[in-house]
Amino acid sequence: MQNSEELKWALLVASLAMLTMAFCLISFVMYYQKRRFEEEKRISDIEKTYNRLLLDTALNSEETERRRIAQDLHDDIGTMLSLTKLSLNQLGKIVGSTGNEKEDQIMKKSQSLVEETIIHVRRITRDLVPTTLERFGLIEAIEEFIHKLEEDNNLAITFQANTEDFPRQGQKLELTLYRIMQELVNNAIKHASCSQIDIRLEINDDVIGLKVIDNGVGFDPEKIKENNLAGLGLLGIESRLAIVDGTVQYEKPKMGGSCAYAQIPMVPVSDSKPEPLHPFRRERVNI
Amino acid sequence: MLEIYISYCLKNPISSIAVFITLLPITLILIKKAYIDPSFKLLLFYLIVKLIIDILMFQSAARHRNNIILFNLGIPINYAMLSGMFYFKFSSRVFKRGLIASMIGFLIFTLWDILNSNAEISDLHNHRAVLFAKTVEGVLIITLILLFFYEIIKSLKIPNLLTFPFFWVCSGLLLYYSSFIFIAPVLHYTATWNNLVDLGITETIPTIFEIVCAMFISVGIYHFSARDYAK
Repeated sequence: MQNSEELKWALLVASLAMLTMAFCLISFVMYYQKRRFEEEKRISDIEKTYNRLLLDTALNSEETERRRIAQDLHDDIGTMLSLTKLSLNQLGKIVGSTGNEKEDQIMKKSQSLVEETIIHVRRITRDLVPTTLERFGLIEAIEEFIHKLEEDNNLAITFQANTEDFPRQGQKLELTLYRIMQELVNNAIKHASCSQIDIRLEINDDVIGLKVIDNGVGFDPEKIKENNLAGLGLLGIESRLAIVDGTVQYEKPKMGGSCAYAQIPMVPVSDSKPEPLHPFRRERVNI
Repeated sequence: MLEIYISYCLKNPISSIAVFITLLPITLILIKKAYIDPSFKLLLFYLIVKLIIDILMFQSAARHRNNIILFNLGIPINYAMLSGMFYFKFSSRVFKRGLIASMIGFLIFTLWDILNSNAEISDLHNHRAVLFAKTVEGVLIITLILLFFYEIIKSLKIPNLLTFPFFWVCSGLLLYYSSFIFIAPVLHYTATWNNLVDLGITETIPTIFEIVCAMFISVGIYHFSARDYAK
């Protein structure tokens, strides 16, 4: 009888101990799973921030390097070319006074070649650093870009902004929008075989939208994403947008061609006016 | 005739609740269409088989007949269906292979245990509970649950376990088998027709946790969404 009582107690204690262990195990699994998820999320956030920082640094370096090259072109090669032009002008006067027609012809040709080189250097310098963007803002920079393109190509490019008085944005944001517009338009010219490009800039309280529509052959954005066919251009656009929390959508309009729509959330601009930038100031740019 | 059953229910309310509470998860599986998941389809079969066996045992008990044979025969059937559920949930092939081997091995072992525990198998009146099989079933099911928990922790695919239906099913089964694992072998000696030893509250613990298990399974099925199943 006593043994039976002891057995009952032993079973009761053992069962309760087993149940306590089961409860503890369930609680542990829930707690551990939650903690691991939090940890994974933290690591993923750190990775994202780190990648963003890396991208930001890479783009900053690219802009700094562009400025350095532009600076060197302007200060060194530009100056040298101007001096060469002056020297050639003086030499031209001497050759002209001798009356040798052949020598005079060669001289004029040399002068025109130097002038042409100076124009090319100026153009390359302007392409490297969008000084108009820094001085006058996005709308003027886009208009200048379109004007240059229309000169060089047989293209009809239209530009519309939903407001005439487009407020100045942060330097980084303006440069991002400008570079994306450049890339999208260049893509349309290179790959779409289009005859018309329409650029639209929309601003509201929350976002700035940039739309580039062309009437070319078009492309299937889903196929490009699925097959990892996105070239450096499209990847570059996405990288630039990632830094400013922006997004890009590619559409295939029913009437043909393609449409790219980039959106960037508005960032409050500080009241203090930024110091006007010298076109090629030799300093590190913090976009 | 109905009086016999009512009187039995009043005498053994906890055991009776444990029998009929199985209807709750069965109903929920049908309402929530949880059977579209193969694991829950097997759970539905398990619950139906369990309900049938429990009702037959209830009827035998109410009529003062030995029902241990039903308990013994239910062990391999229950294990086959419960482990089958895990077969669809495991992602590791090694676990799946081990599970199939354990099903076959356990069926043979249970049959041997039934024969070993009962010298005269045709004598149903004095039929006794198996000595090891129920405990081994508990150990195997707990192992499967632990392996499943290991997989979900390792894979990190489920953000919130409290809304994951199968976690509730596992938790319910873990509690039920943990409460029964030490008592099961003792039943071989205590649950005999001629020399019944009353274990008191200890004997009621597994029954209480059988009800808890059914409740947990019901909570799990409640969280099941047929619309989000594919996701």
